[in-house]
Amino acid sequence: MSWRNELLAVWAVTLRNALMGARNVFFFFELLFWPIVGVLSIGLMSRFLELTEAQASFVLVGTIALSIVNVCQLEVAYAVLLDVWSKSLKHQFLAPIGIRHLTLGSWVVGMVRSLAVFVLLAALGRWAFGFHVLQPGWVALLTFLLGCFLTAWVVGVAVCALITLFGNRAEAFAWASVNLVLVLAGIYYPISVLPDFIAAIAKAIPLTYFLDAYRSHYGFESEFGAPIATGLALSLLYAALAHWAFLAAIQRARRTGLLLKMSE
Amino acid sequence: MLAIDARDVEKTFRSGWPRRRETRALRGVSLAVERGSIFGLLGPNGAGKTTLLSILATLLTPDRGTITVLGHDVVRDAALLRRRLNMASGRPSFLWSLRVGEIVAFYGRLYGLSGRALRARVDGLIEICELGPYRRVPYSDLSTGLKQRVALAKSLVNDPELLFLDEPTLGLDPDVSVRVRAHIARLRREQGITIVLTTHYMREADELCDEIAFIKDGKILARGTPGELKRQIRLGEVIALRLDPARVPWLAESPGVLRCVEVDGWVECTVDEAEKRLPDILRALHADGVVIRNVQVREPELEEVFVELAK
Repeated sequence: MSWRNELLAVWAVTLRNALMGARNVFFFFELLFWPIVGVLSIGLMSRFLELTEAQASFVLVGTIALSIVNVCQLEVAYAVLLDVWSKSLKHQFLAPIGIRHLTLGSWVVGMVRSLAVFVLLAALGRWAFGFHVLQPGWVALLTFLLGCFLTAWVVGVAVCALITLFGNRAEAFAWASVNLVLVLAGIYYPISVLPDFIAAIAKAIPLTYFLDAYRSHYGFESEFGAPIATGLALSLLYAALAHWAFLAAIQRARRTGLLLKMSE
Repeated sequence: MLAIDARDVEKTFRSGWPRRRETRALRGVSLAVERGSIFGLLGPNGAGKTTLLSILATLLTPDRGTITVLGHDVVRDAALLRRRLNMASGRPSFLWSLRVGEIVAFYGRLYGLSGRALRARVDGLIEICELGPYRRVPYSDLSTGLKQRVALAKSLVNDPELLFLDEPTLGLDPDVSVRVRAHIARLRREQGITIVLTTHYMREADELCDEIAFIKDGKILARGTPGELKRQIRLGEVIALRLDPARVPWLAESPGVLRCVEVDGWVECTVDEAEKRLPDILRALHADGVVIRNVQVREPELEEVFVELAK
C-alpha cells in the first residue's frame, strides 16, 4: 500500500468520525457539559476545603487530564463502536482498511476534540480559580498533553480489542476500564498515598508519569527519576501491545464468525 | 479461466460457555466459478450460503480446504484480494447519520480514490443506482429499497472484478427488484464482472444465473445450469390445462401422469414426457366431453427443483 493510500484511509476515518460526532446530540455533553461540571465542582471543593493554590492546582491538573483522556479515548473506541452500533462492521472489514487506519483516524479526531476541551477548561480554570496551565511552560504543557493523548490511544485501542473479542457485552466493561486506569494513575492524589500493591500497578500506567512531570512544575517534588522518558517508553510498549491485541481480536472474530454476528 | 476455485471447504461455528455448541456450517464444499459468469447459490435458511459467501469474500476464515479467488489464496492474500472484490447484502447497514453521498465517498477513499476521481465515481454510482434525489439524505431516513441501492453503489465503488451479492432483492418492491436484476445483468454484460449471488427467489436465479449450486446442511447437493438442474432432478414436464368442468378426477390416473394439482383455475399435470402424453390426454378429455379452453406445456419451475432438493 502506498503512502498516499495509507493517508487517504486515515483521512477517510477521520472525516467519518468528525461527521458522526458533529451530528451527535450527545456530542455537547461529551465535549462541554461533563468536563465543565468536573472542573467547577473540583475547583469549588478545593475552595471549601481551603486548599493552598498549589494543592488546588494539583487536583485541577488531574481533573483536566481526566476530561482529556476520557474524550480522546472515547473517540478512539468509536473506531469500532460506531460500526458495532450501526451493524456495519462487516462492510468496514471487507474494505482494504487496517487497524492502523481506524485507530489513527479516530485518534486524530479525539485529539482535536480533547484539545478543544482542554482550551475551554484551561480558560475556565484561569477565570474561576486562578489556575494557570502555562505556568510550567509550553514544553511541559505539550508533553503533558501528549501523555494524555497517548494514554487515551492505548485505552481506546484496548477497548476496541475487547469489543471485537467479546462483542457488545464488553461495552460496559470498556467504559469502566478508563476510569479504573485514571483512578490508579493518581488523578487527584500522589500515588505514594496508595497501598503498596496498588502503587505498583499505578507505576505501570504511563499517565502516572506524565501527571507527575507536569505537577512537578507546581511545586510538588517528582516521585520518579525520569518520568517523561518512562511515560513515553511505557506508552509505546502498551501501544504496540494494544495494537497486537486488536489485530488478534479481529483475526479471532473472522475465525469465530463474531464479525458477521455483530453485523446482524 | 476460474474466478473461484474452492475445494473441500469446511467451517464449524462454536458457541456457548461452559457447554460448547457446535454448528457445522460447511461440510466439504467444492465449487468452481468461471470468470465473467453469474453464479447462484440457492438453499433453505441455515444451509450455509452466507457462510460460504463470507469465506469467499475474506470476511470469515475457513477451518479446512483450499480456496483460490482471482488467482490468490483467500486466507494468505486476503488483504490483496479485498481491493479487487466487493459485496452487497440484502440486509445492508451503514452509519446512520452519514448521508448517501458521504457513505459512498467514505468507502471510495478506503479504495484509494480522492479529489476529482472520487467525486466522479460517487456521482456516477449515485446516478446508476438512481440515488440522485437522496444524495444528502441521512442513511437512517432511507427506505429498505433505497438502503439496498446504497449497498449496491458502495459495492461498485472499487470497480470490483468479483462481486458478491447476498440476497440483493430481499424485501424490495417488484418494480425495484426488476431494475436491480437488470442492473446486475448489465454489470456482467458491460463490465465483465464475475457475480456470485445468493437468493431465495427462484425466478431471479433462473433469469440471471449461468450456473447454480443448491446447498443444504453445508453440502452442495446439485450444480449446473438452470436447465441442467431441472433435467437432473427428473421432475418431468408440466402440462397445464384450463378445462370446463375444471375438475377431471380420472386425469391423475392416466398413463404417464406423475401427479396433478389445481393452481389458479389451471390443472397442472406433471408427466414423464409431454410430447408423448399430450395427444393421449387431449383425446381422452375430448372423448369425455370436457371442453379444453387452454393448454400450455412447460419445464418445471426452478422452485420445484428447489423443493425437491430441500426435502
